[in-house]
Amino acid sequence: MSAIPEDELRSLVRRGRVHRRVYADPGIFALEMERIFARSWLYVAHESQLRKPGAFLRSRLGTEEVIVARGSDGAVHVLANRCAHRGARLCVVERGTAERFACPYHAWSFRLDGTLEAVPHPSSYGKSLDIDDAANHLARAPRVASYRGFLFASLVPDGPPLDEHLGPLCAAIDNLIDRAPDGEVEIAGGGFRVAYRGNWKFHQENANDTIHPGIVHESSVEAGRQAALRDDAPDGNQTKLQLQSNGFTRREWDSLGLVGFDSGHAFMGGFYADGVLSPGADDPVSTAYRQCLVAAHGETRAAEILAVDTFNNLIFPNVSLNAQYQQIRVVHPIAPDRSVVHAQCFRLKGAPEPMFERAVHFLSTLNSPASMIFADDVEIFDRCSAGLADAHGGDWVNVARGIDSDAVRAEGGRASSGASELPMRAQFTAWLAYMTAGSMTAGSNP
Amino acid sequence: MTDAAALLSAVEAFLYREARLLDAGAFEDWRGLFAEDGLYWIPSEPGQNDPTTTVSILREDKEMLAMRVRRLGHPRAYVLEPRPRTVHAVSNVEIVELADADGLCRVASALTVHEYRAGDRAVRAARCEHRLRPAGDTFHIVLKRVDLIDCDAVHDTVISIPL
Repeated sequence: MSAIPEDELRSLVRRGRVHRRVYADPGIFALEMERIFARSWLYVAHESQLRKPGAFLRSRLGTEEVIVARGSDGAVHVLANRCAHRGARLCVVERGTAERFACPYHAWSFRLDGTLEAVPHPSSYGKSLDIDDAANHLARAPRVASYRGFLFASLVPDGPPLDEHLGPLCAAIDNLIDRAPDGEVEIAGGGFRVAYRGNWKFHQENANDTIHPGIVHESSVEAGRQAALRDDAPDGNQTKLQLQSNGFTRREWDSLGLVGFDSGHAFMGGFYADGVLSPGADDPVSTAYRQCLVAAHGETRAAEILAVDTFNNLIFPNVSLNAQYQQIRVVHPIAPDRSVVHAQCFRLKGAPEPMFERAVHFLSTLNSPASMIFADDVEIFDRCSAGLADAHGGDWVNVARGIDSDAVRAEGGRASSGASELPMRAQFTAWLAYMTAGSMTAGSNP
Repeated sequence: MTDAAALLSAVEAFLYREARLLDAGAFEDWRGLFAEDGLYWIPSEPGQNDPTTTVSILREDKEMLAMRVRRLGHPRAYVLEPRPRTVHAVSNVEIVELADADGLCRVASALTVHEYRAGDRAVRAARCEHRLRPAGDTFHIVLKRVDLIDCDAVHDTVISIPL
């Protein structure tokens, strides 16, 4: 597996450029799964989805499918969705409540913590089956941790604790929760899973690439601009404004700030200076919501919370969080040229219900398979994937835009103007660190 | 011919025409089939009844559809380059209710959409409900609901041409 020497890996990431193999080479992808996705903390679920013992859902750790279940002891377990006996997929419903997971093949049944509870006709197995042997239990992620309700798992037993991994991006989760007058959020409203033909990194790189929207999304920007604002719009003109929002002039994009960290995390600042997502929005929904937040926290604190304008908060390797949209997106790697984006939204507890309806609408407009926005991103990912599969078109992919203006930031990380590819470079700094960190002891690897 | 048979025949002709306009790329004419208070809905979950607190694949009134149609005609809508070719096949047409409380004719049908674009082929299957307001010798669409059989699945292809 790890037959790619460290020198060779280092040669793939140069100043301002990366080798096309980082996107197109199946060997690199396999190594990413081993060294990034099996080692890093990966978001698996939100605690609001697993309120009671027995609640479970299917999720993913990279290419691996897992069951996330709340055990009878209240602890959350992340289990391989594969029977320990003959390997059959154990759970085929997306979510639910269970007392145990029983395999449909020979009826081995497992407790919510993955341990083997019973098998039918045990005498037929004789001494060959030790029911207490961990080899007969569901493989379990050795580390599961929650940051304020956001559940992450890691397939290795050792490594930095979750809050250290999240580092400065804890603030993004904090701000989402702070926006709930009751100080609590819940995932609700369903969601979308949209596949694209392209490497998982494309989605993360694209999120804070501020030059692309005016070009890739030109057709939907113009469609939004040409539509009239109307008093009776069932969506409060939200679709129109959302389509338009990608139509900043280059000077406006320049005025945004980008921040990237060596840990691979990154965010954009100041995306919504006006409109319903701005701190001063005075539409009825925003006004009623702000009153709730003021009632909960007072005028000063409420203003501070709403003034946080970081956008597309990328948590390396595969999470994107937007407090303003009340939205989380996870990009799951499936193959070097196939990824699935899973997008969901949050209800801010204590906020008027129209705030949640707005989040539902944002998600539908942006992340639906029929989205007028995301469809064009998917098309570009397809085209990058097709182009980079060609071996003779040149080896290098350019990520140098703005490289000479990246500046060290007093609070940590690096900062640049909005027109920079700084976030991509930050992601590749982390990528190379993970990829060259050598072989570590694998945990109980589902 | 009975009145019921004549109505079914008229409804079928209307649905076939709708399908033909979509296949021909006559999207503004297609939009013109909707009533001023018309709504086009593709739910994201089987049996979804809740339009506002559960996401929708698409839920647009006639004015919002104007944005979609405008984009479909834009020269730099990249997912439409080259333009997808479609066949919307409508079948199993039944009149479920001649006139509901609002005087609308409720029609059930099955829809298969074959799409080809740039080497890629896709097939989508759905049950449809149309609520039609009789208007002279034709109808206006007050609701078109498209329940894709895989509405809650991982979506492998984007939906750019309306279903």
